[in-house]
Amino acid sequence: MNLEDIIKETKTYYCLECGKCTSLCPVSRYNSNFSPRFMLERALMGFGDELIHDRELFSCLACYACSNLCPSDVDYPVFTQKVRNLASGEGEHGDCAHSGILFSLMRLMSRSDIRQKRLDWLDGCHTSEKSEVLYFAGCAPYFEPVFEDIEVSPVNIARNSIKVLNALGIEPMVLPNERCCGHDLLWTGDVETFKKLAQFNAQMIKESGAKKIVFSCPEGYRTFKIDYPQYVELDCELMHITELLAQNLSSLSFRAKRSNPEVKRVTYHDPCRLGRHLGIYEPPREIIRAIPEIKLTEMEHSGDESICCGTSAWTNCSSYSKQIRVERLHEAKATGAEALVTACPKCQIHFKCAMVDKGTEKCTNIEMKVMDIVTLVADALGDKSSE
Amino acid sequence: MNNSVLVIGGGIAGIQASLDLANMGFKVYLVEKSPSIGGRMAQLDKTFPTNDCAMCILAPKMIEANSHPNIELLTYSEVEKVSGEAGKVKVKVKKKASFVDWSKCTGCSECAKVCPVELNSEFDENLGKRKAIYIPFPQAIPNKYTIDKRSYPPCRVACPAGVNAQGYVALISQGKFKEALEVIRRTMPFAGVCGRVCTHPCEQDCERGQFDEPVAIRNLKRFVADYELRVGREKAVPVERTKEGKVAIIGSGPAGLACAYDLIKEGYAVTVFEALPQAGGLLRYGIPEYRLPKEIVDNDVSYIQELGVEIKINTPVKDLGEIFNQGYKAIFLGAGCQESMKLDIPNEEAKGVVYALDFLKRANSGVKIDLGNQVAVIGGGSVAIDCARVALRLGSKRVHLVCLESRDLTSKDRMLAQDLEIKEAEEEGLIIHPSLGPKRILTENGKVASLETRVCTSVRDEQGKFAPRFAEGPVTTIEADTIIVATGQKPSTVVFKEIEKSPMQTIKVDPITLYTNIDGVFAGGDVVSGPADVIAAITAGKEAAISIDRYLRGINMKEGRPETLKRVKEVSKAGVRPKARHSMPTLELGKRKGFDEVDLGFDEKTAVEEAQRCLNCAVCSECRECEKVCEANAIDYEMQDEYVELNVGAIILASGLGLYDISPLTEYGYGKIKNVITAMEFERLTAASGPTMGELKRSSDGRIPENIAFIQCVGSRDFRNKIYCSSVCCMHATKEAMLAFEHHPGTKSTIFYMDMRAVGKRFQEYIARAKKEYNVTYIRGRPGRIEVNHENDNPIIWHEETTSGEIKSFETELVVLAQAMVPQITKDLAKILGIELDEDGFVKAPDKLLQPLDTTRQGIFACGYVHSPRDIPDSVTQASGAAGRAAEAIAGGK
Ligand SMILES: Cc1cc2nc3c(=O)[nH]c(=O)nc-3n(C[C@H](O)[C@H](O)[C@H](O)COP(=O)(O)OP(=O)(O)OC[C@H]3O[C@@H](n4cnc5c(N)ncnc54)[C@H](O)[C@@H]3O)c2cc1C
Ligand code: SF4
Ligand code: SF4
Ligand code: SF4
Ligand code: SF4
Ligand code: SF4
Ligand code: SF4
Repeated sequence: MNLEDIIKETKTYYCLECGKCTSLCPVSRYNSNFSPRFMLERALMGFGDELIHDRELFSCLACYACSNLCPSDVDYPVFTQKVRNLASGEGEHGDCAHSGILFSLMRLMSRSDIRQKRLDWLDGCHTSEKSEVLYFAGCAPYFEPVFEDIEVSPVNIARNSIKVLNALGIEPMVLPNERCCGHDLLWTGDVETFKKLAQFNAQMIKESGAKKIVFSCPEGYRTFKIDYPQYVELDCELMHITELLAQNLSSLSFRAKRSNPEVKRVTYHDPCRLGRHLGIYEPPREIIRAIPEIKLTEMEHSGDESICCGTSAWTNCSSYSKQIRVERLHEAKATGAEALVTACPKCQIHFKCAMVDKGTEKCTNIEMKVMDIVTLVADALGDKSSE
Repeated sequence: MNNSVLVIGGGIAGIQASLDLANMGFKVYLVEKSPSIGGRMAQLDKTFPTNDCAMCILAPKMIEANSHPNIELLTYSEVEKVSGEAGKVKVKVKKKASFVDWSKCTGCSECAKVCPVELNSEFDENLGKRKAIYIPFPQAIPNKYTIDKRSYPPCRVACPAGVNAQGYVALISQGKFKEALEVIRRTMPFAGVCGRVCTHPCEQDCERGQFDEPVAIRNLKRFVADYELRVGREKAVPVERTKEGKVAIIGSGPAGLACAYDLIKEGYAVTVFEALPQAGGLLRYGIPEYRLPKEIVDNDVSYIQELGVEIKINTPVKDLGEIFNQGYKAIFLGAGCQESMKLDIPNEEAKGVVYALDFLKRANSGVKIDLGNQVAVIGGGSVAIDCARVALRLGSKRVHLVCLESRDLTSKDRMLAQDLEIKEAEEEGLIIHPSLGPKRILTENGKVASLETRVCTSVRDEQGKFAPRFAEGPVTTIEADTIIVATGQKPSTVVFKEIEKSPMQTIKVDPITLYTNIDGVFAGGDVVSGPADVIAAITAGKEAAISIDRYLRGINMKEGRPETLKRVKEVSKAGVRPKARHSMPTLELGKRKGFDEVDLGFDEKTAVEEAQRCLNCAVCSECRECEKVCEANAIDYEMQDEYVELNVGAIILASGLGLYDISPLTEYGYGKIKNVITAMEFERLTAASGPTMGELKRSSDGRIPENIAFIQCVGSRDFRNKIYCSSVCCMHATKEAMLAFEHHPGTKSTIFYMDMRAVGKRFQEYIARAKKEYNVTYIRGRPGRIEVNHENDNPIIWHEETTSGEIKSFETELVVLAQAMVPQITKDLAKILGIELDEDGFVKAPDKLLQPLDTTRQGIFACGYVHSPRDIPDSVTQASGAAGRAAEAIAGGK
């Protein structure tokens, strides 16, 4: 796909250069070198080369704050995604966080001959070898050691997800040789490796006989739902765990006493992939409202106006990212909530990182519990196996 | 070929087209759906590019259209049907009822001054108020008033007797208490009584209850009755006898007196026969004084007497024939239920067993009664509660109430008494034993000692019929010196043998006419229904009065009776702020020993405030105050919609523009963020005739803003909303920025635009002048979001200055949004006219280049905003063009 095609596909032709996107972009608000409108303008004006070699090409978070309200319906995030592919062909790439370890893991998983040991965390969970329902664990087992120091346990989210499914009477399959969904590779321009991962996953899932896949990670969900169909065939019903829970709230019996009774008021942060990408705003809120003795208070920006957690695809994480997070945490704090609940492990990682890494003055004074929605639910259901 | 033309829409385009055609000698019918012609231009303060006063230019045209001999104005009218073909078109037009006879109305405005109903003025974009009887704006043409009346309010529809609650509540809200009482008495004479003891079905249905809590309608009614007693009532003027035929009423309860009241007002001679020494029936001898003091009954009854109703007390009627012999032509039987039901359990005849009606009658007549220390009342309805509360007041130490029903007031088997009276009785010390049935009475020396009961498991069956079921179980025995049986009443068995009755002794009547099996005899109230309530009895009396009038005049009693009132469909709650219902102050518990009234009544301030909670559901409340002051006698509440058939040769559609709903564009916060307004609201605020007399003030603090921002293309040029350019907003924003400066020199305006559409003659110069002379800055960039500075309620606009690429936040004092405009034509109207619309909803031309003003149907032409986004000069040009096309079509066919 060349720039011309990208312009067509993303309706960039219709751009009025009005700047609404830039004024809504969380990155542009702090990083004056980045403007989605200006990126598009260069594509339209024939400065493709300049665009491809611009370092800021990798600054977009694909958060959809811009395109969500663009009067011309231009799809800026997809424009970025495709142009990054062109750029990567010319050797360009963004600044990789965490010394590149996460990308190395993704690329490792694209090899056919690897043998993973990714299911050690399953104790206390009921899974089955054959089931119509598959739980997609994604990269959680790999994130675990990397983010130990900031006290994020993605595996715990996975474990709680299965416990909550168990509470609904579902004993899902979990695949021992599942691969990363490829989201981060796709969004940083490495379409080739992405395709490989997609093919592995599609093949394995087909063989497993699963009819429905449940995700607790919004990125995996978005990737399977929107991106996979363009590359692989997979005929399964896809659901985010919050959708499944919201549909079955009446079959859950919450305990009178939760294991974390100090959390009484929470606020909910919409992950961009779940919210603006897929339009899922209500199910998580329905779930929170259903938990006894928990009050949900909304932040100044919520729902489709929600603000991104500041980094995506482990790329171009910068002081601007930090500023975005700190702003968001202040908003959360201002609600008077004891905990910021989200539905994406990466959001949690990014918020916790901002609190641990006390760089700028403004953030040193923020202390806020950050937790995943399935953990909140699991706590309220009680751990049957430990009783 | 017909020589006349129909023009739809009385905006500037419609007026111009009409005048052109009329001047050419054609007959023009100008149909306008609102009460005045003028359209959007009338709402504007000034017009670009000349900055002339919009009304100064428009008014002469409106007047000319009104006085032109060839133009017939049909305002407050809509086209319902179009048939035939070009040249010979038949049009059916609905002239909506204005409830004012425009041939008489002089436009004096006296009516609006007294009208108690106020609502948001559409013309002022809801920033100002108008009355239910109104003209949209002072220069309206025709200068005739219209009553905005929308069916009937829920309260009035719910009231079985049709008492006009909205009417009197509206008047109370304006402090017009005497007039409010008049409204009640228009329907029935029992303001004082019903204001206390009515079961108020009106409140159950009150629309305000859908919002927070129902209006305290009953307490308000009581307030005006009390007010009259306090200030003193002038004696009522006797009604003149105008009709033949004397009517006899048997029984002076609410049914009988309501019937007597309606008949005397109809002009009949009416006599009421009452067996007891005083009039009022159960109002006097049943309901205890702590709920309904005697002087209240006296007042309502004497009012009826003063009108000319004769009440013969101590006159029991034994024989109906005798009454007819005395020359009465019709009889209404409202004898009520006088006999208490028996329990049919062992030892019922023992000393100490009394029956509710006898007991209450004695108590209400002041006879001394000794009940002993312990009393057991049997029954779960209002009568039982009344007996219990009287027993408490007579000094019994322990009063028990035993009933089959459940104390759970949400259950199907709930007690029949009202929630509040149960609560109050319990507060006063009543001990309730629910779900128990009496089994037998135990005696000592022939005197009551205690009551033995059994457990009742279910009172009513699936169909809701009374069918109690009992269980074996522990026997509860309640000690008692007196047992009061309050398990129901029935009509007296002995009298009027010739009348057909049910096994329960109630009289059988025709359900509509209340006619009995005997010629000339009607019956209603408890004697027909069995024990019910006051308002039901009043309703029956009123229905019978209608029948009796018809009977005496010899017309059909069934056909043509007044129809049931239609409930208003939708009630706007926009802008209503929550306000709790005022509760009734009550007598302190400790003071409830004697028979002093428990409810104390509202004071004036509370009453007015409570009345102001009313939503005025039907808009016009039919209080009839306007009718009183209209010297021209123009008010006509009975007016109906009227249909006229027109024959025309051509039609011009000029229905203009509507404003696009921009509340879904949440990024700009319209409707949520203070100090964010629409351009049309701005026009009304700067117009000298507007709601603020031309003072441009912020809603948050009433300050005059010195720094104003305009955001362009709000909803226009937007794939998610309206994709087209609304075409006039760039210019009107520039004009409005200039106006702000003229109103308050020095004001700085900033206009956020995408492209300035300055395509008209000298428009570019206009913009240059704005920059140079009026302190207007233009910034290219479409803002993404408006946030708020909570300290001063200033909106903050986030935008990218696309010329420099900088993102900025811009704090300002007032934001004016250039709201998108839409063609004002419904799919229905397009269908009626048989024309096609384009994808944006504008009228479609068969050939945009060569027949731009034609529609897809021959003989129908279009101009103005409904045709395409147009400013005034263009609309006028088009109008003349359309007039020319229409004239050509007619003349060509000659
Ligand atoms: C905020 C604002 C400011 C503006 N400022 C300017 C300005 O300064 N200068 C300028 O040139 N233009 C201005 N305009 C534009 C101007 O108002 C329009 O160009 C003009 O009013 C169009 O005239 P019209 O007769 O086509 O429609 P309208 O003025 O909308 O009149 C249409 C009439 O038809 C009636 N009608 C609708 N449907 C029916 C029906 N079914 N049956 C019967 N009657 C019906 C309506 O009640 C109305 O009376 C402004 C517009 C706005 C919103
Ligand atoms: S908001 Fe849309 S139309 Fe406006 S500049 Fe951005 S991409 Fe272009
Ligand atoms: S997707 Fe988000 S980060 Fe990327 S340009 Fe749009 S608003 Fe900015
Ligand atoms: S009082 Fe009568 S004449 Fe005067 S404006 Fe009202 S309706 Fe018209
Ligand atoms: S009847 Fe009363 S409410 Fe109705 S228009 Fe007249 S004064 Fe107003
Ligand atoms: S709000 Fe007023 S008009 Fe409406 S039902 Fe209640 S009392 Fe009647
Ligand atoms: S006239 Fe101006 S403000 Fe209005 S829609 Fe067109 S460009 Fe936007």
